[in-house]
Amino acid sequence: MTERILNHKILGAIRHEFVPFKWNGETIYGVEGESLTAALLANGIRTLRTHEKDGKPRGLYCNIGHCSECRVTIGGEKNQRACLTPVKEGMSVKQQTELPHLVKGDDSHV
Amino acid sequence: MFDTIIIGAGPAGLSAAKILQESQKVLVLDEYFHAGGRLLGQLYEEEKGRWWNGLEIARRLIMETEGKSEIRLSTSVYNVELDDIYTVYTTAGVFKSRSLIIATGAREKSTPLPGWDLPGVMTVGAAQVLTNFSRVKPGNKGVIIGINPLSMVIAMELGYTDIEVAKICLPPKNKINDQTPKDAFETLVSLGNSAPSKFISFGTRVAGRVKPLHPAALKLFPKGGVKAMGLPISIKEKIIRINGTEKVESVTMQKTDSKGRPVGRKREIQCDFVCISDGLAPLSEIGSLLDLRHVYSEPLGGYVPLHSEMMETELPDLYVAGNVTGIENAKVAMYQGQLAAHRILGDEEAAICTLASINNERKNAKVKFHKDLIHGRETVEAMWKDLGKENV
Repeated sequence: MTERILNHKILGAIRHEFVPFKWNGETIYGVEGESLTAALLANGIRTLRTHEKDGKPRGLYCNIGHCSECRVTIGGEKNQRACLTPVKEGMSVKQQTELPHLVKGDDSHV
Repeated sequence: MFDTIIIGAGPAGLSAAKILQESQKVLVLDEYFHAGGRLLGQLYEEEKGRWWNGLEIARRLIMETEGKSEIRLSTSVYNVELDDIYTVYTTAGVFKSRSLIIATGAREKSTPLPGWDLPGVMTVGAAQVLTNFSRVKPGNKGVIIGINPLSMVIAMELGYTDIEVAKICLPPKNKINDQTPKDAFETLVSLGNSAPSKFISFGTRVAGRVKPLHPAALKLFPKGGVKAMGLPISIKEKIIRINGTEKVESVTMQKTDSKGRPVGRKREIQCDFVCISDGLAPLSEIGSLLDLRHVYSEPLGGYVPLHSEMMETELPDLYVAGNVTGIENAKVAMYQGQLAAHRILGDEEAAICTLASINNERKNAKVKFHKDLIHGRETVEAMWKDLGKENV
């Protein structure tokens, strides 16, 4: 479990105003304007998507928009980089999952 | 239509905007939702009691440019064309300008190793942004793979928040990475020479017995590493694998001799996050879109667009500034942004003065990203001058 750094030895103390938003339909809380990767991590959520092909868990990697590992679906729009997206009250964020196999098919993931 | 478009709202881009906005219509574009670039996470002690607080410096630059320059955040640039004027295609529309400054900064390099795709594995830069900017712990106990100035500085920053760093050591040897304990030792010693206050004082501790670069110094380096400034640094240990099912649970470590050859048994270290750090590389895709000639320079971090010390490029009214020209500290990036702005305005006197500041900062920088940096700069400048002769 990770946690927020409310008192920093050099940078000092910080106070937050929390707002609710949805992660896979469940209400969790983040700080308005902070990155989604930070808000999810502060809620103990490390797996942001499962890999399109093999379904293995993936999390944030570079956290500044270069690697695209943190792709999530926001308000129905797919492949949004969570690290570049600030938290807004009421936003709906969903984990992306394994894609159906082109030949074998598999509608359990659609 | 803008006079100048600046791609990148980091130290270089904002410093350029601050000067240009006095007489020009300026647009600054950045992909991130907050201006400041990588200043946002920086925090280190320059001298005893004097801190470099990047977040504060970013805030000041933002305050000085807000309302005077147009700053568009959360905006990605996906194409640039030159046809008398510059056309910049972005996710927020198409913008045109007479001059263009590329100030895109750098990206972090990573040496892949088994398990590096597990949640909980991240770059050191990611951990820095989380810790100092978002103020969320990347985890409670971490291992850092990669010994270089960036990983050392960030390891210290994690310490200010009581995040435990269990080990800082080398990555496994593979086709991409061939850093030996000797290379790592030289990196540490070079940091010791330009130590920001207490940085890596152990270099001199070993050197108390033998000269730092004497072969014996490396042999004397303890197998289990040393504690320098609270950092458990080990140049004779390599992380060969990251373990876990849903997320990081541990790493597997192998002790080596001074040549990097495995010695003894493997050991597991429990941790909940891992940082991979393999240094920085200039982010020069925009230059490639414009078909700029690039030069490979190891001391500068990789491919850089061919440019003059005055920040000019081969194309008219196209300038570069900051880490896209080579990996250096944020102070140099700020001066480079100012220099590009002075050149655009044709202020020769201010440009020469700023160039002197750059050379001065480069010589006295506390943290040197590469020991041959100045040589790398001279090589690029010589190539630029040769280009001038070709064109005559």
